[in-house]
Amino acid sequence: MTQHIQHLYEVLSKVDGYVYPNEIELNWSILIVLYPYITGLVAGAFILASLERIFKLHVLRPTYGIALLTALSFMLVATMPLVSHLGKPQRAYEIMVTPHLSSAMAIFGFVYLWYLMVVLLLEIWFDYRRDMIIWAGETTGLKRFLYRAFSLWSTDISPKAVALDNKLGYIVTIIGVPSAFLLHGYVGFIFGSIKANPWWSTVLMPVIFLFSAIVSGIALVMLVYIVITSIRKLKIDMPCVDTIASYLFYILLIDFVLEGLDQIHRIYIAEESFDVLHNLVFGRLFFTLFIMQGLIGTVIPLLTLGTLQFYKPKIQIRKAIYTVIAALILIGIFFMRWNVVIGGQLFSKSFYGYTSFKIGLIGTEGYLMAAFWLIVPFIILSFLLWLFPPWKKKEDDHEIQVG
Amino acid sequence: MPQHIKRLIGAFAVVIILFLVLQSFLRPTSFGKLGHYRADAIQENKMKALHFAGSDKCTKCHEEMKTDKEVGFHAQLQCEACHGPGLKHAMYADKFKDGELPDSLLLHKPGSRKECAVCHQLNAARVKIVFDTINNSMIKQIDPMKHNLVDKRNFAKLVCIECHNPHQP
Repeated sequence: MTQHIQHLYEVLSKVDGYVYPNEIELNWSILIVLYPYITGLVAGAFILASLERIFKLHVLRPTYGIALLTALSFMLVATMPLVSHLGKPQRAYEIMVTPHLSSAMAIFGFVYLWYLMVVLLLEIWFDYRRDMIIWAGETTGLKRFLYRAFSLWSTDISPKAVALDNKLGYIVTIIGVPSAFLLHGYVGFIFGSIKANPWWSTVLMPVIFLFSAIVSGIALVMLVYIVITSIRKLKIDMPCVDTIASYLFYILLIDFVLEGLDQIHRIYIAEESFDVLHNLVFGRLFFTLFIMQGLIGTVIPLLTLGTLQFYKPKIQIRKAIYTVIAALILIGIFFMRWNVVIGGQLFSKSFYGYTSFKIGLIGTEGYLMAAFWLIVPFIILSFLLWLFPPWKKKEDDHEIQVG
Repeated sequence: MPQHIKRLIGAFAVVIILFLVLQSFLRPTSFGKLGHYRADAIQENKMKALHFAGSDKCTKCHEEMKTDKEVGFHAQLQCEACHGPGLKHAMYADKFKDGELPDSLLLHKPGSRKECAVCHQLNAARVKIVFDTINNSMIKQIDPMKHNLVDKRNFAKLVCIECHNPHQP
């Protein structure tokens, strides 16, 4: 009894005002912040790749393969923060074998599988099949075996077969764009549909999530491309990076306006939850919302990228600016997810009080665990870039298009 | 159909079949019999040890308490809410003579300020909760640190049940 009371006093010291007993400690921690963040990176990277493919923006060609492989590396890890957050990770498969059709989270498993299997893997497979067969002939040992296995031991690289691959790849991309929208819109939907939580419950949530996902994915691919070219000591394809940066600017602008609209809507209708949210954003969320997400992640990148639309400094300076801005945007979008996930749990649903959130360095929900799940995709990406280097692909690939 | 497309379809078929086979193995056998859950879970839960007897069992022997309680504010309160789980007591107490009950069968007799305060402590969040829907009354709230103190240095000195009959407060 005394122990319980001591624990009670300890947790109550984190609370302001009145909160329900199950709201004192946050159940969704940094790993749940990572999950929409990583999924968003996947969707964004894929959408950038499909711009090249569908709209034939050949200027983006140098980033096409990188964008696809980036999407795949992050996709493979997307569910891992969720699984490692579970108290019983060994039961994670149960959501797939006994799915309940009325559960948004259970269906997400299948949305995820559809996107991974039918969209990403298929597109990459059609894109790389010919090259894998060629590379299998040029390499030996494990690498050769991997190429053969991944190409399903097929050998046909006749122009007809390659043309068919391109045609099917094109169709997959067309299916892939709405699928990518669905994947990340769905993540927003999972939050937006929780009607008991006024910070989450807005129909704009899927759209906001989607646009912020595109922003973060494009920023990530831009950053990865710049880093890879510097590691390989190659000349950077500046028209390509400039084009990506201009897309980044426009989509970040749309994202900013959408989030602004959402806030204006909240302020204007001023529902009963307004006061508690008002105090939340100017109190516990001030730093992460206004400084990290607003200033560092949105305003500074918008002003910088906007200026670069009119004024173009030297290539080296531009490259440095793009690198910094991409990093800032990635940080900003991370804090956007943070503000949604953590912010939504900091106030009481009685609207009478707040709790606090403190995160540790170690432990299953600590910084190190989160850092681990953010580093793993880059390790996978390095492996994929080693196995499937987009720069070694035979060019003129997508020229043989449909029709 | 070109060879590689056939292989691709084959690979997908293998994955889907593998999933279905795994699903049939991993899906609990009693799943879905009664609804979207494992029907065996009901049986497993039934096997769990019981601890509570329920008021009806208590009032079989302690009839006077029943008549006491029936007219008071605590009429709807279960005996075991204050006295703790009493199934063992209900099952074996009649095997012993009065006053010879072993400790393991004795039930708790609450009445201190700490215990009554579990429900009656002043709590701003509880003010609006209507407890008794018939009389529309609310749970009475007091500040146990200030309420009727005889000795201000020792708040626990005067226990609640000295003034209030817990069965008919």
